[in-house]
Amino acid sequence: MALIDIGLEQTSSATLQDFLVKLCERLGLEHAAYAGMDQSQGDIRGFVTYPEEWVRHYRENNLAKGDATLHLASRSIAPVDWSRIPRSEEYDRFLDRAMDFGIPRNGVTVPVRGPFGDIGMLSVSMSGSADAWARTYARVVPELQVAAVHVHDNVVRAFASPHPGIRPTLSAREVEILQWIAVGKTQRDIGSILAISDRTVEVHLRSARTKLAALTTAQAVARGIKARLIDPE
Amino acid sequence: MIIIVDALNRHEYSGLLDRMFQLRAQVFGGRLGWDVHVENGREVDQFDALDPGYVIGVNEDGEVVSCVRALQTTGPHMLADVFSAILGGEAPLRSPTVWESTRFCVDTKRLGLGRGPGTISGATSELMIGSLEWAMTSGISDIVTVIDPIMNKVLKRSNNAPYDYLGETTQMGKVPAMAALLDCTPERIARVREFSGIDHDVFANESQARRFSDAAPVAKAEKATDAQMQSYLEEQLAEADTARDRAAALRTWNELYARGLVASRPPIPALSSVS
Repeated sequence: MALIDIGLEQTSSATLQDFLVKLCERLGLEHAAYAGMDQSQGDIRGFVTYPEEWVRHYRENNLAKGDATLHLASRSIAPVDWSRIPRSEEYDRFLDRAMDFGIPRNGVTVPVRGPFGDIGMLSVSMSGSADAWARTYARVVPELQVAAVHVHDNVVRAFASPHPGIRPTLSAREVEILQWIAVGKTQRDIGSILAISDRTVEVHLRSARTKLAALTTAQAVARGIKARLIDPE
Repeated sequence: MIIIVDALNRHEYSGLLDRMFQLRAQVFGGRLGWDVHVENGREVDQFDALDPGYVIGVNEDGEVVSCVRALQTTGPHMLADVFSAILGGEAPLRSPTVWESTRFCVDTKRLGLGRGPGTISGATSELMIGSLEWAMTSGISDIVTVIDPIMNKVLKRSNNAPYDYLGETTQMGKVPAMAALLDCTPERIARVREFSGIDHDVFANESQARRFSDAAPVAKAEKATDAQMQSYLEEQLAEADTARDRAAALRTWNELYARGLVASRPPIPALSSVS
C-alpha cells in the first residue's frame, strides 16, 4: 500500500491521522504519533493513532511533562529508541500508565529539525519481543526518517502561522535533474549527462523531493511544473 | 575507541567535550588557519548550541584524538550558512536521510604516520567507521562532509574516497575546504575496516565509556550554581505572559545553555491539541 501524500490535499487533522494509520499498516507497526513543538508559540501539536482514552488521559493529566520520549528526542539528531531512555520515577509512572492503556513498550522517536528552529517528532511503537523489535527497527528506520520530515513539513505549512509560504529553495542542480527526469531520462542517464555519479543524482533528487514536500519523484516533477521551476517538455 | 556524545548524554561528558573543543582550536584555529572563533583555547561556534551529535575518538589515556560533528540537513547547518561559499551561493541539500558532518579532525601532533593504532590513518579510519555505523543505524543514507584537501587525501588513501563532491573547493583561511559525499553503506564500512585492519566494535562499551565520563565530585560542585540559574530562568519563563516575553525568556535560556552556563534546555511546553 502506498503512503498517501498529505501535501496533495488540504492538510487537516484527518489527513494527518490517516497518514499515520497507513504508515503503520505499511510498515507493520502498531501505533504512530506525531508531536510538533513550536517553542515561541508555547505549545505542542499532536496527531496520533492511540486509543482515544489514552489521548484524553494524556491531555487531561498533562503527561507531556513526564513524557521522556519527547523531552529527549527533541534534543537528539538521531532516532531515540525508547529502551535507551534513562529510567526515573516519573518516567516509570508514565510507562505504567501507558501500559494500562495498551501502549506498546517497544518504540522509537524520530526527531525532525526544521529550518525555523521548529521541531517535530514521529514516534512509532510495537508489542512483542525486544529481538523482534530490533529487527523491525533496522528495517523501518530509513523510511521513518522520510515519513517524519514529510509529516512535520506539512504540519508546519498547514498550522504554523508566522512563516507561511517560505519554502526551501531548490539548487540549480536539483532543478536541472528534475528537468531531465521530466523529459524521461533515467538517473543513470542523468549521471552521465552531468558527469556526476548515479548516487549524487539520487542525493539531489531526495533533496528536491523533500523541498517540494513530495514523497515520490513523480510528485516532485508535478510540483516542479506547477511551481514553474521546470518545463513540462 | 569511539564515544558518541549528544544532548542526551553531554552532561556526563563535559570533560571530554572540553578536550574536543581544544583539539578543534588547535586544528582549525591553528594548523589550518580557518576563520574560527577561539576563546580560552577552545573553538566553539553557534552550531554547537544546536545540540549536534559528536563522534569522538579517544585513546587509552582518555585523550581526544579525533572528532566530528553531525547535524541534520533538514534544519540549520553549516553548508546553509557559514560554508555557503563552497556551494557558490546555491541552496544546500535538504534531506531526511542526509546528515552534514563538520569539524572533522584528527590530532596530528599526538598521532604518528604509517598505519595501525595510534596513527593518523588509524584514527581517521576508526572515526569514519564510528560515524558511518552510527549514521546507518539511524536510517541515514549519505553524509555530506566539509573537509580540507589533506583530510580528503587521507580518506582517499584509506580506501574511503568520497564518491563525489558538491560545489567547488573554496579557500577558507590558509587552506581550501570542500564538501564531499560519503555513502553510509555496509560496503564502504567493509572497505575502511579492511584497509585499517579494524575488525572489532569501535564503540566504547559501558565500562570504557564510564572511565571517560566526568568525575562525580567536580560535577556536583558545579550543579549547585546551576540549580540557582535554572530556577531564575524558570521564574522568568513563568512570569512571561505575552508571546514576545516568552520568546525573549526562551532566547536567554537557550543562549545560556549554549555557553554551558545552565545544564538543561527550556522545558517542553504544555500540550495544547491532540487529534
